[in-house]
Amino acid sequence: MTRILAAAFLLISAAAAQAHGVAFVINSGSASVSILDMSTGAELRRIPALREPHHWALSPDGKSLIIGDSAGNQLLFLDPATGDVQRRVPCADPYQLGFSPNGKFLVVNGLARNQVDVYDVATYTLIKRFPLSSMPSHMAYAPDSSMVYVSLQGTDKLAAIDLIRMAVVWVQPTGKTPAGVLWLNGRVLVANMGEDGLSVVDPVDGHVERRVHTGRGAHQLFLSPDGHTLYVNNRVEGTTAALDPATLEIRRTYAISGGPDDISFAPNGDLWITQRFAEKVAVLDPRTGVLTHYQVGRSPHGIFLNASGE
Amino acid sequence: MIDPFDLTAGWIEEHALIPLLYRFDMMEWEDVAYGWALVAVYGVVQVFLTLAICLPLERWRPVERWPDNRAVAVDVFYTLLSRIGILPLVTFVLFYKLQVMLSGWLTDHGYVPPTLEGFFPFLLGRPVPTFLLYVIILDFSDYWRHRFSHVFRWWWALHSLHHAQRQMTFWSDDRNHLLDDIIASLWFLVVGLLIGVPPLQFPVLVLVLRFLESLSHANARVSFGWLGERLLISPRFHRAHHGILAAGERSCNYGAVLPWWDMMFGTADFGRAYVETGDPSASEALVTGSYIAQQWAGLKRFAGALVPRSVRSHDRPGAVRLVGRTRE
Repeated sequence: MTRILAAAFLLISAAAAQAHGVAFVINSGSASVSILDMSTGAELRRIPALREPHHWALSPDGKSLIIGDSAGNQLLFLDPATGDVQRRVPCADPYQLGFSPNGKFLVVNGLARNQVDVYDVATYTLIKRFPLSSMPSHMAYAPDSSMVYVSLQGTDKLAAIDLIRMAVVWVQPTGKTPAGVLWLNGRVLVANMGEDGLSVVDPVDGHVERRVHTGRGAHQLFLSPDGHTLYVNNRVEGTTAALDPATLEIRRTYAISGGPDDISFAPNGDLWITQRFAEKVAVLDPRTGVLTHYQVGRSPHGIFLNASGE
Repeated sequence: MIDPFDLTAGWIEEHALIPLLYRFDMMEWEDVAYGWALVAVYGVVQVFLTLAICLPLERWRPVERWPDNRAVAVDVFYTLLSRIGILPLVTFVLFYKLQVMLSGWLTDHGYVPPTLEGFFPFLLGRPVPTFLLYVIILDFSDYWRHRFSHVFRWWWALHSLHHAQRQMTFWSDDRNHLLDDIIASLWFLVVGLLIGVPPLQFPVLVLVLRFLESLSHANARVSFGWLGERLLISPRFHRAHHGILAAGERSCNYGAVLPWWDMMFGTADFGRAYVETGDPSASEALVTGSYIAQQWAGLKRFAGALVPRSVRSHDRPGAVRLVGRTRE
């Protein structure tokens, strides 16, 4: 009887710990978006994109999940609850995109065309184009939306764009093959794919204050929603490093094979990580280190979780 | 559904290419390397698939038997170079990136490059009919590219390398001058801009098409029958294109996969069966030389063709001088 009760308790606990809602996984190689049931990992739908979608941004009103299809020169607007296609809008080479915290600007990085476009969200018109060499890939905003920082993957630099004056303030070398960018504690962190960690950059003038070891091929970095952990995916080493956001010291490292790329956080604390070279999404329980894998399409890149399913 | 080719390419990328790129400070090439790995994996499968099917066919029903087939070896090299080696990398780096940049530039100037899925939205998410439509359009465009390569003197000077082989086998499909390959890629780029060809979106189907193109060069008595010959290009049909009487401007059967365009534009010849192949006007270096010798001979012929006709005392470069074998 005790065993039965214990088993029942475990089952109930497991069910409570399970994440609900849907996960949107952008399959760059398959030109599609997989929608997974977060509780089972089953693929519910697959939405066709046009050519090569990579990253996403949620519109400020939360009503549209906007996916950039770089080779298709198209923005794909999806209903974030159902995945229904709302519209497709022409846009030149939208590789990476992000809304400013105040919801006024949409910045679109054209990695192939070496350009950074700033749009006015109220009218969705182009305010200004910044030709930036080369390969603008990832971005981070200052919390007051006055600046956006863009990594230039091809030239080992970081660019700072003043969104008030609409001008490039500085372009500074920060590390080899910079990819992910994050604003943290008044500093800009840059993941250097050609090195083994992060650069901590002064947002005022772009000089590198220090370098932090995370693992070979640091590619992307994300702060957990509770702000307690900074996760860095190391592409070459095949690991995800969990860092103390205050000290930037590594607390723990998880082995994630298959080219770990983007991360999205589930409400239960799990990390959903795309594995670019394995056609999978890894769901990592950071407490236990247990990994669960779900099958998706070719070259999964961006990932968005709508945990409420609404 | 798991894609074993993609997973293999991913494994190569993760365990071989990325560590190498990291070692040599070239991580910005990681996406390109992944694309190349995928093309190369499909290339290896293409080569083995073609070998497994075409070699027994050539042994079983050969059109010609040669006491010495050393001339075929260089075609094997062409195939490996073209399907696995450096050429896909160059094509991927140069032309794919160029296409993305150009199409983005056009989008930016108010011209959204059309796509078949744009014209026919029901095609989105339906890869097989989409791909078949792309095949028909691309094959049509390739028919004209190929036909023009026989018409213009300078172009034929390059393309004649492909026709010079007297011992034509399934390996001969990729036997091309580098400049001819580049022109073909540029042609593809322009067509791609017009109809939005999806890069690497249908690799399995591309694999089947490439196999059909190799098969059409096989040294095998294979016909698809009266109806089949009019639906898909067979070794019998394409061999007539490589016949010694069909070199240069007077050729026929230009199609690569579908014979429809030859039938439509009056260049189809279903009558010639299993003719001898080669270009009687080609220099021996172009026929039996090493890879480098053939490329150099092709370049010289190309340079010669650029000289105005009035200055030259030769016949038209595309014209055929009948020598040797005249089995046709």
